[in-house]
Amino acid sequence: MSHQWGMVIDLDRCTGCEACVVACHAENNISTVGDDQAARGRAKHWIRVERYYEGDFPDVKVKFMPVLCQQCDAAPCEPVCPTFASYHTSEGLNGQVYNRCIGTRYCANACPYNVRFFNFYNPAWEKPLHLQLNPDVSVRSEGVMEKCTFCVQRIKAGEIKGEAEKRELKDGEIQPACVQSCPTRAMVFGDLNDPHSEVSRFARSNRGTKLLGELGTIPKVTYLQKDSWHGAEDA
Amino acid sequence: MPTVNSIYGLFPGPHAAERGMNALRAAGVAPDKLIVMSPEPFEEYGFAQADRPKWMPWLAVLGGVIGGTGGFTLAWYTQTAYSYPLVTGGMPIVAPWPTGIITYELTMLGAILTTILTLLIGARLPNWKPKLYDPAVSKGKILIGVLDPPDQARADLETRLRGAGAEQVKTTGRSAAS
Amino acid sequence: MAQKTPEQINDDLLRPLSGVSARYLIIMACLVAVVIAAAFAFGWQVYNGIGVAGLRRPVFWGFYITNFVFWIGLSHAGTLISAILRLANATWRRPVTRCAEVITVFALCIGATFPIIHLGRPWLAFWLAPYPSERGIWPNFRSPLLWDFFAINTYLTGSVTFLLLPMIPDFALIRDRSSGWKKKIYTVLALGWIGTPRQWHRLEKAMQIMAVAIIPVAVSVHSIVSWDFAMAPVPMWHSTIFAPYFVAGAIFSGIAALILAMALLRKFLHLEEYLLPIHFENLGKLLLVMSLLWVYFVFAERLTSWYGNESSEMAVFWMTQRGSFSPLFWTMVTCNFLIPFPLLAIKKFRTITGTAIASFTVVIGMWLERFLIIVPSLSRKYMPYAWVTSPYRPTWVEITITAGTFAALGLLYMLFSKAVPIISIWELKWGRHEETVRDPVLARRDEEAMA
Repeated sequence: MSHQWGMVIDLDRCTGCEACVVACHAENNISTVGDDQAARGRAKHWIRVERYYEGDFPDVKVKFMPVLCQQCDAAPCEPVCPTFASYHTSEGLNGQVYNRCIGTRYCANACPYNVRFFNFYNPAWEKPLHLQLNPDVSVRSEGVMEKCTFCVQRIKAGEIKGEAEKRELKDGEIQPACVQSCPTRAMVFGDLNDPHSEVSRFARSNRGTKLLGELGTIPKVTYLQKDSWHGAEDA
Repeated sequence: MPTVNSIYGLFPGPHAAERGMNALRAAGVAPDKLIVMSPEPFEEYGFAQADRPKWMPWLAVLGGVIGGTGGFTLAWYTQTAYSYPLVTGGMPIVAPWPTGIITYELTMLGAILTTILTLLIGARLPNWKPKLYDPAVSKGKILIGVLDPPDQARADLETRLRGAGAEQVKTTGRSAAS
Repeated sequence: MAQKTPEQINDDLLRPLSGVSARYLIIMACLVAVVIAAAFAFGWQVYNGIGVAGLRRPVFWGFYITNFVFWIGLSHAGTLISAILRLANATWRRPVTRCAEVITVFALCIGATFPIIHLGRPWLAFWLAPYPSERGIWPNFRSPLLWDFFAINTYLTGSVTFLLLPMIPDFALIRDRSSGWKKKIYTVLALGWIGTPRQWHRLEKAMQIMAVAIIPVAVSVHSIVSWDFAMAPVPMWHSTIFAPYFVAGAIFSGIAALILAMALLRKFLHLEEYLLPIHFENLGKLLLVMSLLWVYFVFAERLTSWYGNESSEMAVFWMTQRGSFSPLFWTMVTCNFLIPFPLLAIKKFRTITGTAIASFTVVIGMWLERFLIIVPSLSRKYMPYAWVTSPYRPTWVEITITAGTFAALGLLYMLFSKAVPIISIWELKWGRHEETVRDPVLARRDEEAMA
């Protein structure tokens, strides 16, 4: 049976610790850019935790929302790429092919979630951080666009293992780095084609919403939250 | 270097050139032996009416149709048969509106390129060694003449040309006698 | 002008082709220096990475795409004058056509470099071309950037044709008047033109067909450039008004560039008897119409945005009306409307100087307009957390390359005016005797003058 990968993020459980951000950097060979370049807006965080504050001190409430590539089924970033570097895979992922990317940056402009990141310079890792690079993931060069892939290297490794062992994949067997590292288990990943998987059940929850769903992008990440945010009306 | 026998007159303006042409026609010169050269087009006068193009616009349309077919084939075939179909944004592989744009642009390109070709072929260009030419045309003179005139008619033709107002009458070819 | 003989016209219009003055060489040297600086800046960018430009997340397009849209827009000058006025049988266009067509070709060439300059990996720009690549895929025809590729190439082919074909009889004229190596070059360029009715009819017919063909192509080119923006779900971009808005703006900036070019040529090449005040008046009236049309489009777009009060659009809207971009916005309105309107609407001011000043401000205003379409919308998209924190600021690389494009246009124009007469001589003469055929008195006077 073919898979359609999806994710559920429970905003009522997210503490904003950003372990997912760190894990993503480590797993996917995302370099830091230095404070000067970060101040100039060139930092790359395939998953980021957005913070929204409500109220004034001392009655401040903070809301956390991890935002990553929504792997939209009607992704606006896909048709605009002239070289097919951004396209839709048969498993429902928005694939980013670094070798095809010539850096027009149209996809980043088209993405309403701002989850695409551009390598303005060649990435660099100060020694000895280069020893920490993940051999399963390529290092992108200057001029190439990158974004969250739902840790496609882990998905592929899991699928290959399943084929080799001639069995179906178990629910929860494949976990992207962010899902694996979340201490409150606020993130769930799995196969939306399997109606009994955890992610399918949570996606059907009546606490579920889609981020910017009204734009028609058909995102595959469902956010669970009990109450809507008051600040959201003014955003 | 003219390589053909001819006799021609250089006229100062279009009215004189018109008289010259009428004089030559009255002398019974066949239309395909008449030659005219001018420094600009003289659409309003009778002497410059020969050799109108009939087919150029239709050939341009044909070129457009060929271009458009090529454009549509390019967009359709390369996205389906040649490379594995890549899904983008839930759109169909041969998306109708964008395919229309590609088809349209190549239609116009086909029409443009065909027009260039029909111009060059119809005007017999490039032809760096024309059979007959006189640089006086560039000074503003209009050349009206006869190609390959019979020897005995030359004197008569010259008289007619001068009578119509030619400033100069020249001959080219084997007979230098005027 | 009816008093001049053909030889006098030839002399006047071919005089710029012979010899260079010291002033010419000095200006050329300055322009070459700026162009070389721009080339160096681009090389610096390729070597060090596109991070040397001011681009940042989320403003991924800035000066380069502004320049791209601006220069492609400027290239609509030639189309309007040459094609539309030709089809409308407006005879006053004749001295102006070649100036306009030259702007078109050079502006297009300059504009077409920017899709390469702004790439992250510009050495792979050829992947936009439809060819069977060794990677087994063709380009994505669903992408507006591919439509750009086809449209701009078609328009460039059409414009070069439109420029080169009527130059053939003028090359023949120069061929007959020159000697030595110059004669050899112009002989080749003239393709052996002798001026028979067969050739004239076909040239005229080709120009008519081209005029009919080039207008829809020009409309499609700038519509497609506008769809680079309108196809993306970005607030204030995703609007159906973009295609006609951009085409109108392109024609607007094109006429302004043409008036400026004509004013400069008239002064430097001593063409006072050929580029007459009536030409500037007529073009000034067209510029006025386009200015009003531009105001109409801006008003229509702003009214619907403001009235609709959609929150993401309003976030961008207020940035240009009252926020950080408002100085640029109001400068743009001043340059595109408040200054040109009185200069062009009041007949007393619609002189050569008046129209030239109005055109200069319009060129600035239209450049600002392209910038204000691109950067504010990208600065505030749908996710407020990703709104730009420090504004997009161009670096020396982008500014130098922008300056280089203006210098490049000047440079190419100056080189062209030394090699080819900037006024189409045969078309000018043909326009002249169209008058005489209607008036026998003029005709007789003409013939007596030429004898």
